[in-house]
Amino acid sequence: MIRVAAKLWAFIVRDFQQQVSYRLAFLLQIGGMFLSLGAFFFLTRMIDPEAKGLDGMNPFEWMLLGLAFQYYFSTALYAFSAKVRSEQMMGTLEAMLVSPTSTGLVIFSSAAWDFTYAGFRVLLYLGGAWLIFGISFHLENFPVLILGVVLTLLSSVGLGMLSASFILYFKRGDPINFFLSGMTTFFGTVFFPAEQLPAFLQGVSDYLPITWSLRVVRGALLLGKGFAELKNDLLALTVLTAVLLPAGLFLSRIAIRKAKQEGSLVQY
Amino acid sequence: MGHAVEARRLEKRFTRRRSIRDILFHPFRSPEAVQALRGVDLTIREGEIFGLLGPNGAGKTTLLKILSCLVLPDVGTAAIGGYPTSREQLVKPLIGLVHSDERSFYWRLTGRQNMNFFSTLYEVPREARDARVDELLRKVDMEEAADRPFADYSSGMKQRMSIARALLHDPPILLMDEPTRSLDPAAALSLRRFIQDELSGRDRKTIVLATHNLHEAELLCSRIAILMKGKVRQIGTVEEVRRWGLDTRNYEMEVDRWPVEAGERFAVLSDRSWEDGRRVRVALAGEDGLNLLLAFLMERGVKLRSCNQVDADLEGAFARILEAE
Ligand SMILES: Nc1ncnc2c1ncn2[C@@H]1O[C@H](COP(=O)(O)OP(=O)(O)O)[C@@H](O)[C@H]1O
Ligand SMILES: [Mg+2]
Repeated sequence: MIRVAAKLWAFIVRDFQQQVSYRLAFLLQIGGMFLSLGAFFFLTRMIDPEAKGLDGMNPFEWMLLGLAFQYYFSTALYAFSAKVRSEQMMGTLEAMLVSPTSTGLVIFSSAAWDFTYAGFRVLLYLGGAWLIFGISFHLENFPVLILGVVLTLLSSVGLGMLSASFILYFKRGDPINFFLSGMTTFFGTVFFPAEQLPAFLQGVSDYLPITWSLRVVRGALLLGKGFAELKNDLLALTVLTAVLLPAGLFLSRIAIRKAKQEGSLVQY
Repeated sequence: MGHAVEARRLEKRFTRRRSIRDILFHPFRSPEAVQALRGVDLTIREGEIFGLLGPNGAGKTTLLKILSCLVLPDVGTAAIGGYPTSREQLVKPLIGLVHSDERSFYWRLTGRQNMNFFSTLYEVPREARDARVDELLRKVDMEEAADRPFADYSSGMKQRMSIARALLHDPPILLMDEPTRSLDPAAALSLRRFIQDELSGRDRKTIVLATHNLHEAELLCSRIAILMKGKVRQIGTVEEVRRWGLDTRNYEMEVDRWPVEAGERFAVLSDRSWEDGRRVRVALAGEDGLNLLLAFLMERGVKLRSCNQVDADLEGAFARILEAE
């Protein structure tokens, strides 16, 4: 366990060291983030706060969390496949896989930094909103919030590993990725509540982890809901995580095995 | 002495990837395939420098990748230190792979940052890490450049980093894939010395060295296998392989010209321009063969300037093996 943690940490350090050389890009990203934050502030003033599905939450705050978590999930989806692809090109995937480190752990850890970085940016985003727009969050149910965030993290790692496995297995652009990003944006209750959709489409949202993540996080942060009120949402998120994470680990091993059969761990 | 590496009947076939367009327009055409290995049998002993000699495309890299658990064979088995390569957790601690290309490192990071990262993957304990990395950087003479970005290194430096990385977990067996391929002659010379004196001599590593360089194999290896088109053609000590098929002797002659028919009747090893004539090396069946060739040349009015018998060398053996194909 200590060894696994040490390896995970080594991946984070590795990518942090690479990231340091892109300082300007980082500042520009943060700048862009705050501009979009401003745009959404004014945009959401046009939204009826009584709209179905908002459950009395302020539209700007509601959407703010949606955007932050959509950013998180899209990082998850994108980071794994992009990392695996580039390590395949650089030859470093092979270099890692000759070492006595298991395949699953190599894939699992490869996006550890992207997650850390995305988490950091989400915090900045929310902190900025708090400072600039004077939003107040309920923090009294902090443990529930943490639980929700951890489950969000694990389920998105599962999704990311699925998409990386797809890339390794089929060696081409990743339609799963594209599909899931689109689905998340449309059905993930990021921009509008599922209740606004025609009835026969509403159920789709239930299969996306982001829907449940957002129910937990919005409930806890904006309405001050506690464990008792959120336990069904947490349960749904747990079930999805329990499916997605093992599936991601398992399929990444299958994909690496296929790559070893085809000799495609390195690509030119 | 035990066996460091054993390969039995290894076969590997690669299919080339088809483009979507190709699949759309020719849905039933089977993909192009390459048979990279066709039944390779090998035994490599502990402590030897074993040469895997063969032209480009012979299957050397494929074989080394199978031995390092990076490619799965279609047929046959390979074992490292007695463990089959399917048991990766047992095999990986025993091997260090020195890649042939210069990639496989993070170019934006320094040499030391790269080494630190890989040392964790190779399970060097954190408290021993800095000392181990320093020791290896010193060993491959990269101490001074260690804090410069990897991208700035010369080919020789990258190759030395690759060796240092393969030594992180102190494996008893090193698999080296054409380590001198992209080096200039001076760098190649010093790397060969390092392999011979340090890695083999002092550290007593078993070394499997893939190379297409005959000279390198003769200098370094105790035993060699000649691999061609995915098959082991010859295996033995350098001396044994050199003499292979030598019911013939090699002669080098300088002539004013070399008739085309001579090439059809006699086994020509090499033929190049020399001053205003040609210098030709032929393998002949002893004195009888020599006299036959001389008569053949005289008959056609070829002027002979000199004729020497040359010792058997690996190049000759290589040519004979090619001929026997
Ligand atoms: N991953 C791969 N996909 C398709 N063909 C391959 C792959 N790897 C090697 N080959 C082919 O297999 C043959 C042997 O290659 P290789 O083992 O690299 O030879 P060597 O290292 O002796 O030059 C070559 O024809 C090469 O093109
Ligand atoms: Mg090769």
